[in-house]
Amino acid sequence: MDHLGAGIAVLAITAPALAIGILTGMSSAAIGRNPEAGPQIRGLAIILAAFAEGLGVLAIVVALLAIFIK
Amino acid sequence: MASEDRTAPAADAAQAGRGARSRLRHPLLLLVAAVVALDVLAFLVVPPFPKHGQPGDACPFPVCFIDGNLELPPPHVVWDLDPANPLPSGSLVIGFHPSITNSLLTMWIVMAAVLLVAYLATRRLRAVPGGFQNLFEWAYESLSNWAVSNGGQAAARHVPIFAAFFILILFGNWSGLVPPIGKVELLRAPTSDLNVTIGLALAAFAYFETQGVRANGLGGYLGKFFPLREFRHGVGAGLLALFVGLIELMLEFVKPITLSMRLFGNIYGGEVALGVITALALAVLPVALLALEAMLNFVQALIFSTLTLMFTMVAIQAHQEEEPPHPAVTPIDQLAAATAAH
Repeated sequence: MDHLGAGIAVLAITAPALAIGILTGMSSAAIGRNPEAGPQIRGLAIILAAFAEGLGVLAIVVALLAIFIK
Repeated sequence: MASEDRTAPAADAAQAGRGARSRLRHPLLLLVAAVVALDVLAFLVVPPFPKHGQPGDACPFPVCFIDGNLELPPPHVVWDLDPANPLPSGSLVIGFHPSITNSLLTMWIVMAAVLLVAYLATRRLRAVPGGFQNLFEWAYESLSNWAVSNGGQAAARHVPIFAAFFILILFGNWSGLVPPIGKVELLRAPTSDLNVTIGLALAAFAYFETQGVRANGLGGYLGKFFPLREFRHGVGAGLLALFVGLIELMLEFVKPITLSMRLFGNIYGGEVALGVITALALAVLPVALLALEAMLNFVQALIFSTLTLMFTMVAIQAHQEEEPPHPAVTPIDQLAAATAAH
């Protein structure tokens, strides 16, 4: 029970996971509809996935703070 | 493999091709086998021991193994430059204490290696490049194409700093995956240290802010956040624009924070995950995670440098009031069209 706060903070990773999943699905559908725009969509998708992942990293930071602040 | 395609037509050449193929069947499999062998060797030669104990102490399986491989966020100090006044020891310490940490040491090694390779590749430049120079030209050209396809033609000016950030962060990230670095007290991946990533993010922040001021003038650049011009359209519109400008100002300061946190979290988290799974599964599973980490480190380097480029492009754009609609082709134009919607 020592680090329960850290464990709860990490539950927030589900949100970026869902976001990246939705992004993947919709960008794949977009590339399927319009293969010529493939490189642009791919580039945009990578960048936006990193945005979403960055927010998940904030959850790691909060969890680390919860562990290391007594 | 390419050699097979070229030697396919002739029969006896195919014999030679088959011979060459069997000699070095899959360099990737060889690499995987080498990593597994190294893991097993490391476990046999240097078995984990309790954190505050001696090598050879009893070490129960899950907890002590993981503890031995765990890397704490603050880096280990290699050379203390000011031993007289240490930082106050506590749980969350934000202070300034000159010292050479292991991440800084590794950063210097990576920088020296990159500079050396760059110097060796660019002396005696030839119009028709040989092997090494060709590799460098290919790398720079790919980066330049990526930058221009994402940022528009105006991004060509900022390709050098984009490429510099990318190469430094890429090799800084990948250096954490080379076997001794990260497990030896002396060396640690530089970008797994929050100090280093905050420094990189501040450098990027300084860059795109100065580019914005240089392109728009100080008054013009501040006018993006405090659009006093909107008061022309009435007090209500003016106050709304001021409110939006304040939010944009806050977002401007969030940019270096997210840049540094994203890089730190990904690289440090990757190192911790790799350490834990090597402690638990020892040989085969960690190789898969190593491959995943190699890819993720590449993507994170790309993200950091691409975002710096994008923020630069956004910063140098003039404040758009009524912009004639033009087809938003590149992602940066799409982003600009979205943010100019207010």
